[in-house]
Amino acid sequence: MGKIYERLMSDVRLQEGLKACINCGTCTAVCPAAEFYRYNPKNIVNIVQTQDDEEIIKLLKSDTIWYCGECMSCVTRCPRTNAPGQVIIALRTLSVELGYFVESEKGRQQYALAKVLCGNVLNYGYCVHPETFKYASHPEYGTVGKWIEDHLQDVYDRVGANYGKSGPGPLRKIARESLDDLQKIFDVTGGSARVEKIKDLSRKKAQEMGLSEEEYFNEVFNETHGEHLNQQNQ
Amino acid sequence: MEISNQQRNIVVIGGGPAGIEASRALDAMGYTVFLVERENRLGGHLGRWDRLFPYGTPAEDVLSQLTASMGRIKWFTSTEVTQVNKLERGYNVILSNGLSVLADALLLTTGFTLFNASKKEEYGYGIYDRVITNADLEDYFSGIPVPAVDNPRRIGFVHCVGSRDEKVGNRYCSKVCCATAVKQACEIKEKFPDAVVYCFYMDLRMFGRGYEDMYLEAQKKYGVIFVRGRVSEVSEDKDGHLFVKAEDTLSGKPLRVTLDLLVLMAGMSHNRAVDPIARTLALSTMEDGFLKPKDSLTAAQASYCTGVFYAGACTGPKTLPETMAEAKAAATSIHEYLQEQ
Amino acid sequence: MNYEGKKKIWSEFQKEIPDDKYFYARSCIRQNFNPGAEQAFLDIVRNRFGKDFYEDPLHTTCGGIAYHSDTTPEETSMTIIARQFSLMNQAGYRNFVVSCVTSFGLHSEILQTWEEHPEIEQKIHELLWKACKREFVKPDFLMHSSDMMYHYRFLISEQAKYPLINVHTGEPLKVVEHIGCHYSKIFPSKSVGGAEYPRVLAGLVEALGGSVVDYPERRHCCGFGFRQYLVKANRGYSLTNTYKKFESMEPFHPDLIITNCPGCNYFLDRWQYVIAETTGKTYGDTPGYGIPVLSSEEVAALVMGYDPWDLGLQMHQVAVEPLLDKMGVKYDKSRKYKGLGGKDLGVPASPANIRIF
Repeated sequence: MGKIYERLMSDVRLQEGLKACINCGTCTAVCPAAEFYRYNPKNIVNIVQTQDDEEIIKLLKSDTIWYCGECMSCVTRCPRTNAPGQVIIALRTLSVELGYFVESEKGRQQYALAKVLCGNVLNYGYCVHPETFKYASHPEYGTVGKWIEDHLQDVYDRVGANYGKSGPGPLRKIARESLDDLQKIFDVTGGSARVEKIKDLSRKKAQEMGLSEEEYFNEVFNETHGEHLNQQNQ
Repeated sequence: MEISNQQRNIVVIGGGPAGIEASRALDAMGYTVFLVERENRLGGHLGRWDRLFPYGTPAEDVLSQLTASMGRIKWFTSTEVTQVNKLERGYNVILSNGLSVLADALLLTTGFTLFNASKKEEYGYGIYDRVITNADLEDYFSGIPVPAVDNPRRIGFVHCVGSRDEKVGNRYCSKVCCATAVKQACEIKEKFPDAVVYCFYMDLRMFGRGYEDMYLEAQKKYGVIFVRGRVSEVSEDKDGHLFVKAEDTLSGKPLRVTLDLLVLMAGMSHNRAVDPIARTLALSTMEDGFLKPKDSLTAAQASYCTGVFYAGACTGPKTLPETMAEAKAAATSIHEYLQEQ
Repeated sequence: MNYEGKKKIWSEFQKEIPDDKYFYARSCIRQNFNPGAEQAFLDIVRNRFGKDFYEDPLHTTCGGIAYHSDTTPEETSMTIIARQFSLMNQAGYRNFVVSCVTSFGLHSEILQTWEEHPEIEQKIHELLWKACKREFVKPDFLMHSSDMMYHYRFLISEQAKYPLINVHTGEPLKVVEHIGCHYSKIFPSKSVGGAEYPRVLAGLVEALGGSVVDYPERRHCCGFGFRQYLVKANRGYSLTNTYKKFESMEPFHPDLIITNCPGCNYFLDRWQYVIAETTGKTYGDTPGYGIPVLSSEEVAALVMGYDPWDLGLQMHQVAVEPLLDKMGVKYDKSRKYKGLGGKDLGVPASPANIRIF
């Protein structure tokens, strides 16, 4: 049993999520990611079960662990009460902790995700916020989305939201006091350290790839290069 | 004073193959046997089955052979045990027909209950009309109309329904379902030679004599398609066809098939009817509810309770030949016990 | 399909739902895309039913989307949620209701983890104290807002002005119910009706006169997949899975899709637009229209006679008018895209292949 495996097993989500796999494929059968990507949750669980550090490190450096959508459909069905989706979360956590995430195209997307999402949480108190959710990078927001964006305050006022103002209500301005609390929570729980780690390693990777930070962001957010899709979707 | 065997009363609870066979053996040894069956006929699950693996023997033939010579056995159908009292020596057993027996020994041959397949909600038994169980299909083979079996063109068999499944609390293998699925797959191909038949399995446990031959025949003669993967979910399309999702784990690819008929291989659950007796006599049970023998290797017919014995599927899933052998073994164990008294 | 069989399963997944006195936590996605749904929810429960639902402006996101995009440790979300509990305690409430399904799933998971690992809960008490000088007690009951709509379904139907019945044919409307994955797939026992045949929306639809469509890909994920949508390069995942669902439900000609998850609502609505614009295909039974996608709150409000534009249904990309016409809802076309006091805000551009009004 290797050190990496031991470290993985110290994650409570893995302890709860992986007892012993019977290899029946129930998880893969309903997995939305398996329908789209070259992905098979059963195989992930198998690799972890080998307890072979070399194989696990390969996994941590690969695109594979980033294909799951964390819908947890697998959890409902497993006859051994395993949770492949939780195993994935533990693997991703370790991939970031060990800095392996920058080794794969899909792993590098953590930079964009951490920047946008943690930025939203700490700056606004929301995971999603109109200041950063823009039609330009979300064209599927549609013509209605574009219209909302163009008349933000008016549309939100019209439907009873409290956009940008104090007091209760949808999209209220989250008070300084609450934002400070969120920052302090991030600081004491390892949230800030995680974000910083992602940013630091991503900056290094950007340099290595000869990209500015902005170019790197655009690259990981917009571009896809590798062969990720399964045959049906090619 | 020497007590003759005839003066020894033995109550056998459960009139399936284990109960019948053990009663016959004990009767042959000269004991006075009371065989109690709550259904209106002897035979247990055997009475509902059409043919038996691996050679397709009609269950009816086996049953009539078993019941052909019941000797001096006092057997009662539609009768239940209403009360069991432990005495200083032996037991007082009161039956629903009013009979009260002072028994020197008790033999539990209470068997199993077919797993309630509707508990595997994702398979839709009791919801989707074309999802049936192995027992329903035996009904069909016996000539009882089963409307779901309507000239099916594509048929699936799902192994391990309620077995090897912690989600329903049954961690064990039910032992007979693999062979039953293969048997039924061949039989349905006999009825509908043009149908495409799939067996969805996790592991094929063809351990018995003749089982592997049956499997080979299913592949070679009948062209049954074996898919190594557990069915994950079943749903119904607009025309009532079944939409089935599994993974073909050998190719590592998600598999979707549309079927006209899906047969769930419901496994064995412990028979809850035995629970009150188990409680009264403080019999040990296992976490899945089956009765726990004193020693599964060397004293499989003995319980932890003096004078109480087990045979057949009351201690866990068994095939028919295993059940028959246990019935004989139980008779011998009871004989040895009574001779020592 | 045998309805009695489903009823048997539903009877095994009953959830105890307190009738009153809740602390309300909003959903990030819903506040952005369908804030009217949350306002209608609060108005219905408070002003129509006279219930006590408290909102503290100091509450924040639970960080669920950041967590499921693997950008934050679980302790971070645990502590943020502990802070919400602390706000609830402070306001004197014991029942917690969340508007978001991701959040509901995360709350359920965290409560379960604390149950099984009290040392983790202890650690969170310490972290929350360290960060915010706050203490907390766990809620007695945790609900999703759709649980509440289910719980009050007969109160809603008592006040129904436009039941889910086609006024032209007298037939029940055919409704697809889409349940967010994190509502019951992780903890079926925490839901109304379980994971396989969830009752929570089906029960509401039936109480309001509609009939539920059981189509093959009913249980399939909408395709959000967190990072699979949030990162532009991955969005094919999201679109492909939504497409699969629409192709599967198409033969049943649904009049309406009802959701309990704010995210699913957005994706099932917006991807219809993308499918229409890229392939020309629309799924509504009126040519050129999609299938309207409404949350349980929006459906309840519409049935109870709320004005569709006060409710914010103009924020959906797929036009709701075909549904309003079937239900016989009275509405003023000219007011759809107007601001407060009739302020002219123009109208959204018309897509090439799918109508917006």
